Amino acid sequence: MNKRELHPFEEYQAGMTRRSFFGKMAQGIGITALGSMLNPYLLSGAGVDIQNGGPNMGFRLPHFTPRAKRVIYLFQNGAPSHVDLFDYKPMLRKWHGRQIPDELTAGKRFSTMTGEQAERPVIGEISNFSQHGQSGAWVSDFMPETAKVADELCFIKSMYTESVNHAPAITFFLTGSEQPGRPSMGSWLTYGLGSVAKDLPDFVAMTSRDKEASCGQIFYDYYWGSGFLPTKFQGVKFRGGGDPVLYLKNPDGISRKIRRQILDDMRALNEMNYNDFGDPEIKTRIAQYEMAYKMQISVPELTDFSDEPQYILDMYGPDVNRKGSFAYNCLMARRLAERDVRFVQCMHAGWDQHTNLNHQLKIQCQDTDQPSAALIKDLKQRGMLEDTLVIWGGEFGRTPFLQGNIKDYNNWGRDHHPYVFTLWMAGAGVKAGLTYGASDEFGFNPVENKVHVHDFQATIMHLLGIDHERFTFRHQGRRYRLTDVHGNVVNSVLS
Amino acid sequence: MVPKSRFFFLLMYGLILLSACGPEMPGEVAVAYEKLPAKIDFNFHVRPILSDRCFQCHGPDDKARKADLRLDLEEGIFDQLQDKELFPVIPGDPDKSELIRRVLNEDLEIMMPTPESNLSLSETEKAILVKWVEQGAEWKSHWAFDVPVKVELPKVEEVTWPKNEIDYFVLKRLESLKLQPSPEAKKETLIRRLSFDLTGLPPTLEEVAYFVNNTSDNAYEELVDRLLATPAYAERWAWEWLDVSRYSDTNGFQGDFTRDAWPWRDWVINAFRENMPYDQFTIKQLAGDLLPDATTDDVLATAFNRNHTYNTEGGTIPEETRVSNVFDRTETTGTVWLGLTLNCVRCHDHKFDDIAQKEYYQLFHYFNQTSEEGGGWGGKQKPLLTLGSQDTVDMINRLETYIISLKDEVEKLEYDKFPRDLGLPASESKVAKNTKGLDPRILLKEAKLRGTGEFGQLLKYFRPTEDVYGRTIKKLHNVMLEYDRISAASIQVMTMDELEVPRPTHVLERGTYNKPLLEEVINPGVPKILPPLEAENNNRLALARWLVSEDQPLTSRVTVNRYWQSFFGNGLVKTVEDFGVQGSLPTHPQLLDWLARDFQENGWDLRHLFKKIVMSATYRQSSKVSEELLQIDPENALLARATRMRLPSWMLRDQALAISGLLVDSLGGEPVMPYQPDGVWSEATFGKIKYKQDRGDALYRKTLYTFWRRIVGPTFLFDNASRQVCTVKSSNTNTPLHALTTLNDVTYMEAARVIGERMLTHTSNDEERIKYGFRLATSRAPDSSELEILQNQLKQLRQLYRSSPEEALKVTSIGDFRKNSTLELADHASYSVLGSLLLNLDETITRQ
Repeated sequence: MNKRELHPFEEYQAGMTRRSFFGKMAQGIGITALGSMLNPYLLSGAGVDIQNGGPNMGFRLPHFTPRAKRVIYLFQNGAPSHVDLFDYKPMLRKWHGRQIPDELTAGKRFSTMTGEQAERPVIGEISNFSQHGQSGAWVSDFMPETAKVADELCFIKSMYTESVNHAPAITFFLTGSEQPGRPSMGSWLTYGLGSVAKDLPDFVAMTSRDKEASCGQIFYDYYWGSGFLPTKFQGVKFRGGGDPVLYLKNPDGISRKIRRQILDDMRALNEMNYNDFGDPEIKTRIAQYEMAYKMQISVPELTDFSDEPQYILDMYGPDVNRKGSFAYNCLMARRLAERDVRFVQCMHAGWDQHTNLNHQLKIQCQDTDQPSAALIKDLKQRGMLEDTLVIWGGEFGRTPFLQGNIKDYNNWGRDHHPYVFTLWMAGAGVKAGLTYGASDEFGFNPVENKVHVHDFQATIMHLLGIDHERFTFRHQGRRYRLTDVHGNVVNSVLS
Repeated sequence: MVPKSRFFFLLMYGLILLSACGPEMPGEVAVAYEKLPAKIDFNFHVRPILSDRCFQCHGPDDKARKADLRLDLEEGIFDQLQDKELFPVIPGDPDKSELIRRVLNEDLEIMMPTPESNLSLSETEKAILVKWVEQGAEWKSHWAFDVPVKVELPKVEEVTWPKNEIDYFVLKRLESLKLQPSPEAKKETLIRRLSFDLTGLPPTLEEVAYFVNNTSDNAYEELVDRLLATPAYAERWAWEWLDVSRYSDTNGFQGDFTRDAWPWRDWVINAFRENMPYDQFTIKQLAGDLLPDATTDDVLATAFNRNHTYNTEGGTIPEETRVSNVFDRTETTGTVWLGLTLNCVRCHDHKFDDIAQKEYYQLFHYFNQTSEEGGGWGGKQKPLLTLGSQDTVDMINRLETYIISLKDEVEKLEYDKFPRDLGLPASESKVAKNTKGLDPRILLKEAKLRGTGEFGQLLKYFRPTEDVYGRTIKKLHNVMLEYDRISAASIQVMTMDELEVPRPTHVLERGTYNKPLLEEVINPGVPKILPPLEAENNNRLALARWLVSEDQPLTSRVTVNRYWQSFFGNGLVKTVEDFGVQGSLPTHPQLLDWLARDFQENGWDLRHLFKKIVMSATYRQSSKVSEELLQIDPENALLARATRMRLPSWMLRDQALAISGLLVDSLGGEPVMPYQPDGVWSEATFGKIKYKQDRGDALYRKTLYTFWRRIVGPTFLFDNASRQVCTVKSSNTNTPLHALTTLNDVTYMEAARVIGERMLTHTSNDEERIKYGFRLATSRAPDSSELEILQNQLKQLRQLYRSSPEEALKVTSIGDFRKNSTLELADHASYSVLGSLLLNLDETITRQ
């Protein structure tokens, strides 16, 4: 079929109302030909990206065999202090109290809190470091349980980022851009890879905070937002109190039996309407009401820990039964992973030790150390670490120098430090027991194998079988991707 | 169509003559070539390819440009390549055109786009380029930057179908594709569609009956006119504008302080009520403060430009906040009026449209002149408009002046109190450092940027009995407390003003607030691709007037297109936010231009525009769709039917309130806090802010009046704009979470319970009761099979609830609204559940 009618746009351009046909229009024109006349590419708006195969793109992914089927991201909001927890720098104690070399800080941006502070004395790590496991990874004694699973972990000690403030830096990690409005990693992945979980959302977000509520960072819902992707790809926030999913429970007095019979009749009535109107959205609506019904069973089952043996609960620590705690969320993450949920984002706030380093950091570690390690062990013993990628880390690191007055011991702090920091990954496709990259002797700048946030994101995509450069979405006239226009896969951390 | 012989000749020609130095069309390209239309059009076929695959490196962005080649400009395409004996395009000679040679080449070193770009051209696209060059490579300017022209109505064959001008354009296209429009929708469907589209509410049963029985010729028009004149019309379109304007009752960010924004929301409602012309609507909101003899209302209108988020988090830099607010204003204006995506231009030249980074800052300049400083704490950031009695306004002004003078005094005293090197903040002095326990962040700020609480803190360390410094900050603190007290009791709206001495504007390197390129001072101006702005006083007011000036080609098109979307699901240009070269092309370009011009010629009258749209036969079609048409045109670009759309979630709630009779439809006023599950605000703010649900009438006001907390919007809404930034594109998704909301939220279940009461008290006959409820929900009577299903359901429910009265009691007690306790419990429960079923029917939640 190569005969073609003038598109009105062409006519418009020609500035005339031509009625002539180019060639004789065949009788009973075929649907395909007519469809192509509409030129779906030229008329398509946001989203449909022909470069990636149009709306069916999801079925074209992955680009290659994935190593990971799912991701659990233990995001540590506030920025854990790399120099006190993972990045052992003997130099810091030697230089304790002395001004950090000016050549390190010159021209560097810090937050307003130390940006204009004239004195920047180095302070030694407030914990004690030792090496662990066969890999000999350095871990501080604030993290005894993590230390025990060190051989499962891959530490990246040369991470660096761009923003010096929390919200933009977190947004950068999760969406590839400091400005809110882009899809988060979980949305990209569920959009690209499609649905696997049967009766649960594919992308779940949970939040927790330290017991003292010392840190004020709030969780913006764009941290798990879908940006310009359809909202059905946004993370579903499981709440720490009340129904885990908003409006999950039937109203009082409406039993499951009644709900079922109501849905059955609604389906019957909706199908009659479908037969009349032919709108496929009606079919989707019916399916979504069914999914809602399934979630009413699957979510309470999911959150009911009574089927967990005591030794498992003990592994995650004393807070495991407290809803909204990090421990609770870690166990939930495992249970979600077992149910094939693609992306679980547990965000824990409380790492922002500006003025309370000496007492608060340790408490913070107590909240998170045991559950994080338990999750690794638990996944491992179920054989799930093979195809589950676990990530642990914050949005930046903390300054090797002091924020505050060195004499005022109780108010010591460390400021935001985007120039180098540590995170760890474990599981599917990642080399276990590896320490990758290194910072300088002050833990100030990366000196070996620098890893930018976009590199890190490219690596995660790679583990899920996606070439980050070829996974794009067209919006407002340009192709967007998680890694913006940057990022290189860090091949050395891949197993 | 290319005759086979000619195609073959071309192929051979390429193979024989040019195999050594020029391109040859590979087999697949040649095959694709054969399928091309006879005439290749630059704007329709060629520019979309160049823009999408080439501009990234050969477009307007100076810094990203490779080989000094610009394919977005006419000269760039045709001029000789620098230092080479080559031309990108030689009209009529594809073989000698370097562009063609590169796109046809498969050598990785030569081919374009390069392999690294991850972009590629399809065989058809390559063939288009070849054929375009072959046909003489005619170049055209981008359609949206040319002035719209109102053409004569096209001739159509089915002359009886069109009801107004719109229909000629739509029908013309359908006829050319041998398609038919759909028949007119049923009257019940039409009144329901019109009521939602124009007023956001379902019709009452009386309204339906009146319209269905009104057989006069102008029954439809009468209905349209009536709906356009209702207050609900104003509220319905105010919602759309609130999404566009990123309206919220709080700042966003940590703290998420409450602001007084709602008087502006009421201004918007009033503007729609009095049908303010869209040009006035534009001018007042962008520059009402600069109008000669500006009234309080004119200044209030400018709150539009302060609806952006405002970050007062600890550690943020005031100037950074201020600049990011100016970005927001600039980009919002770009999206709403110009349909241009300006956000990328703050960092670099536009990749696709010919807009330089410098031109972004020319626009930025207009919005860079307020006295907003970016620091501060709380939800009332100056400039503020105080609403209230003259006494209050005077008092506030006096206190403000006094505070400024006292802060100056403190600033001076601090030089002696906290001796330090010049240029350092007070926090860097020995005195400050030796003050144990004092939060160093307070003295880090200049005195004028500190808040009341911060002076309160200082007073704990520097006592009034000590010295003049202590006495002064004590006095200042007292005055600030007094100001806060009066301010808290007053309504103060964040609005715009204009500095007397303009703030110089510079290009910011990569959009970074503290990296101005100081060597050049930027003057205000508009992008060169658009008609020039000529004004003696080139300020924000001049910009606003230019936006709605006659030959500025974008505003009228962009506006009618955005509104068109509300009636048909998509704009005529699908990318309502982007009319640039990467945006979609219009499906009905002449119609878009006709409407744009008609809108202008009729004094930018929105009611006239809406009436024009809904009076058309196009609008009145049925939304029923055959499988064949669905396959041809899944998105209804051709308009051979009406578009079936799920109602926006705010309308769903309003509908539930309306058909249960719970709706309290008073206009305007302070925002209200209807039902919301416990703990949502608390969890989002670490327990700092708790939701205080209202009681009584406030629970049943329109969703328009629901308090909007920016960090967690109303929980009962789904797929609404998040109000973080300007949103012009509507979103319509379909997820299980929506189902859970409309099935289980107390808002809906209470409405269902009250609908149950309405059905029960309507009559004593079950069949009639069910029919009544069904009509309330869908505006039509159920047919016999529908009725049968519902009757059986009722029977089952009755049985169940008769055997479990406790459950029946629970269902009938949902919600605050007074319960009709004269009703038999099981009956009441059964009808309540039936009410919920009716509220959730696909037909009920959809405008068909």
